[in-house]
Amino acid sequence: MSSSSTADGDDEFSVANGPDRPYVESPIIMATVRIVAPFVFTLGAFVMFHGADSAGGGFQGGVIVGTAILMIAIAFGVGPTRDWLSASMLTVLVVFGVALFMGIGLAAVASGGAFLEYTAIPVAHSSKYGIELVEVGIGIIVSVTVVGLFFALAAGHSNEDDEEVAE
Amino acid sequence: MTPVEWAVLAFVLGAALATALLRDVLASIIAFAAYSLGIAVVWLLLRAPDVGLTEAAVGAGVTTVLFLLTIAKTVRPAGDDLFIDVDLTAVGVSGLLVAALATTLSALPPVGSSSTPVATSRVSNYYLENAYTETGVENAVTAVLAAYRGFDTLGEAVVVFAALIGLLVVLDRGVLA
Repeated sequence: MSSSSTADGDDEFSVANGPDRPYVESPIIMATVRIVAPFVFTLGAFVMFHGADSAGGGFQGGVIVGTAILMIAIAFGVGPTRDWLSASMLTVLVVFGVALFMGIGLAAVASGGAFLEYTAIPVAHSSKYGIELVEVGIGIIVSVTVVGLFFALAAGHSNEDDEEVAE
Repeated sequence: MTPVEWAVLAFVLGAALATALLRDVLASIIAFAAYSLGIAVVWLLLRAPDVGLTEAAVGAGVTTVLFLLTIAKTVRPAGDDLFIDVDLTAVGVSGLLVAALATTLSALPPVGSSSTPVATSRVSNYYLENAYTETGVENAVTAVLAAYRGFDTLGEAVVVFAALIGLLVVLDRGVLA
């Protein structure tokens, strides 16, 4: 960040809170996002969960779910959205996504198969469900990464005042 | 080529030119988002909906937002010119590169041709014939991605995860949000 930023707590985290670009609450954008965001979120979840049977999958669905959060952050301000989705929740989620993928791989090993050999897991249709769970894991990783990149870029480089925020 | 394909190609080309030539960075980013959307339609026309979805979500959506976030931290250049001053040397080099790449176009098989290496290869035929019975999913792309090459995809997912960690390290931050 430039030296001109007066990093007092929250202000440095809002994208548009610079001196020349104030964050403006636009009722049109807020109302639009309020209506559109649930549909975008649902589409993302559909693409993620239905990726095994139609076009899509974890990567695409995850990005669409992440986009819904980005829309909300742009309409209602980055700061409030960041507070709404707590940092610890995002961290737990992204680690859960990686653990889910690896866990399914290891579950196959535990059942006597090779790593990620879904058919070794003694569950009916284990291959289909294994693939779908893997897709969900990918979706969680990707969506949290998209949201995390957004917040991290909005926050910029850390400085002395970080301890106050990184509680 | 159908009229729709010509129209989409013209749109993509126009958006690409606008991205390169517009002086205002914000206008350039908007043109780039339009370009990505056009490319997503091109993927759809080429029967690659999975790639098209990714292009629309990442190219037109997330990348645009990240670019906007970045330029929000900068100032606009002074001046009222609509377009940048074109650097003739750069145009020459780009033209040469495009011409060199274009010489390979004639070697490509026609779109949808049944004699392409992809369509005749033993591997893709194996996937198309056995994906459903072996993995239980109807989308062969997903079957290859998550089952036949699951370990590969685990690596990809971890790369995405590592990108997040990498950005946190670069920005010298300890928390995600």
